[in-house]
Amino acid sequence: MDMPDLLNIENLHLEFDTYDGVVKVLAGVDLQMRRGDVLGLVGETGCGKSMTALSVPRLIPMPPGRITAGRVSFNGEDILSKSESEMEAFRARHVGMIFQDPVTNLNPLFTIREQLVDAVLYQRAQGQKVPGRWRGFLPSARQMRQEAHERAVELMRLTGIPDGDKRIFDYPHQFSGGMRQRVLIAMALAGDPDLLIADEPTTALDVTIQAQILRLIRSLVAQLGLTVLLITHNLGVVARSCERVAVMYSGRVIEESPVRELFRNPKHPYTRGLIAAVPQKDISRGGLEGIPGMIPNLIDPPAGCRFHPRCQQVMDVCRATVPPTVAVGLEHSTACFLYPEDL
Amino acid sequence: MSRLLEVNNLSKYFPVRGGLLNRVVSDFRAVDDVSFALQEGKTLGLVGESGSGKTTIGKCILRLLEPTAGQILYDGADITHLKQSELRRLRGEIQMIYQAPAASLNGRMTVGQIIGEPLWIHESLKGNAARERVLELMNVVGLKEEHYYRYPHEFSGGQQQRIGIARALAVQPRLIVLDEPTSALDVSVQAQILNLLQDLQDQFDLTYLFISHDLGVVRYMCDEVALLYLGKIVEVAATEVIFEAPKHPYTQALISAIPEPDPDMQREEIIIRGDLSHSFPQQGCPFAPRCHADKLADCDTIPPPLIEVERRHEVACHLHPAMPIALT
Repeated sequence: MDMPDLLNIENLHLEFDTYDGVVKVLAGVDLQMRRGDVLGLVGETGCGKSMTALSVPRLIPMPPGRITAGRVSFNGEDILSKSESEMEAFRARHVGMIFQDPVTNLNPLFTIREQLVDAVLYQRAQGQKVPGRWRGFLPSARQMRQEAHERAVELMRLTGIPDGDKRIFDYPHQFSGGMRQRVLIAMALAGDPDLLIADEPTTALDVTIQAQILRLIRSLVAQLGLTVLLITHNLGVVARSCERVAVMYSGRVIEESPVRELFRNPKHPYTRGLIAAVPQKDISRGGLEGIPGMIPNLIDPPAGCRFHPRCQQVMDVCRATVPPTVAVGLEHSTACFLYPEDL
Repeated sequence: MSRLLEVNNLSKYFPVRGGLLNRVVSDFRAVDDVSFALQEGKTLGLVGESGSGKTTIGKCILRLLEPTAGQILYDGADITHLKQSELRRLRGEIQMIYQAPAASLNGRMTVGQIIGEPLWIHESLKGNAARERVLELMNVVGLKEEHYYRYPHEFSGGQQQRIGIARALAVQPRLIVLDEPTSALDVSVQAQILNLLQDLQDQFDLTYLFISHDLGVVRYMCDEVALLYLGKIVEVAATEVIFEAPKHPYTQALISAIPEPDPDMQREEIIIRGDLSHSFPQQGCPFAPRCHADKLADCDTIPPPLIEVERRHEVACHLHPAMPIALT
């Protein structure tokens, strides 16, 4: 690969201490993203997709969380060894995040203007820690706020909020769910981030609004050259919005491929099961297949491949050994013993 | 085939209070003049976005909410004004399964008690006889015998939903209102529950009113679909017809917005502007402010009636050629 990776997660292991025992949340996550990628991270509840994403801006509370092995590097810099103040600057300038629930992520007591201007000012302040005696030479606070206001209106225009210059004085409750999500996207873009992490951005929204937000994200990718990590449990959203997909199961990426290849030619039994479980066109009554069993307990996960108790094609080796990730096609890899190494 | 449930001109308005004396200043029309019928042994899907009134309709049918106007016929009998004592008998016939399985199960009761309670209330069954029935029901929905003394929090979402289903089945209902039964579940578990619901329907000859916002699930489960927009039905037809040849602009937009797990799927994506808002002008079509089609003058002034444009296909849209031209 000629282009260096923007984000490189290698063999990441994450554990949480709880009263019931140690929860092994991530067990060797490998994930690479190049600049301009739109990668979908798919999996069911508890598979670790949000935890993987949160480990990039290092937003996992530690303790109780603990990274026991692995590396996260961004633009060649090692994230895990940064100090907390370096992390603050890093988050402000390189990573923007949006979350599932646009209601809880906006403060109901402040107008959108106050919240957006704050975000813009915070991002600007990072990296230019001016010593006190030089403060007087900075552009006046008033002017900075004015500039930040203009930038905030610009961000609202960019994210498709009509009448941004007037609506910026409104409170969050005066916005609908879709519009609130747009405000949050605007806020995430305030620092011109390289990477936008979208954690289930459309799960709380109706389908017609979901389509609007996905279209917005795609247009931002085209306009700003954003790199997007889209976390979702909805395979349809991935098919519509992403170029590459990584499927996670119980703390590992078990298959990764370009999006078309994954849907046409899924390799891992879990991926196959997941695709077969979605009610699609042309599936007649009784034709839907679920995956038997349920997601494993992460305190005492199954030995070997964590999927083996639910797998239809389980072999003896699966019960004892963790399968390595092998290439099964062009940019297509999976962690399953059904496929021999060195194809 | 008979009509098990018939809903005629059902409306449910909630009072909006305001002003200095907190008087009722206006009505919030959650359900506005809705009519549909449900054939015995079939599944009717009620589809709409949040705030379209689908859950309110479900609750009105169970008389958990009192309808403002209209008539509900169950098995030919008017149940709109039944007294409490008569309602109890009705609840043995109509049951409901809720969206959030954890919130709809009493956390202080064991699984055996939860499933056994309706048996005690409706059939005065207790002791060993009740226990046997409960175990039988647990077996039917795929729970194990050892789960009898466990509490709801010990189960995953899918298993909790199975408990809710067993509880609904306990009284041997004929009609079940399913309010988003799988929207809190993961896809692999959702498939298990949907298949279970279909098996139970075949086994016990159940009739389902299936409330959902997920069109993919509705396509899989339902024989007929009614689409709701702001408390009004905009289109009703057999499932294949709705998905293959939708007539209402809202239905067309909604179907084009389903994220299909198929990256090669070529289709025109209709993105409608704005969002669901109850503050539309009370006259005219409720969808008019968001409609992407070429609107007529009537759209903003006259509410379109729901008319049968083809056999068993009803649409409420002025743009449809079969719509009578309003004489203004």
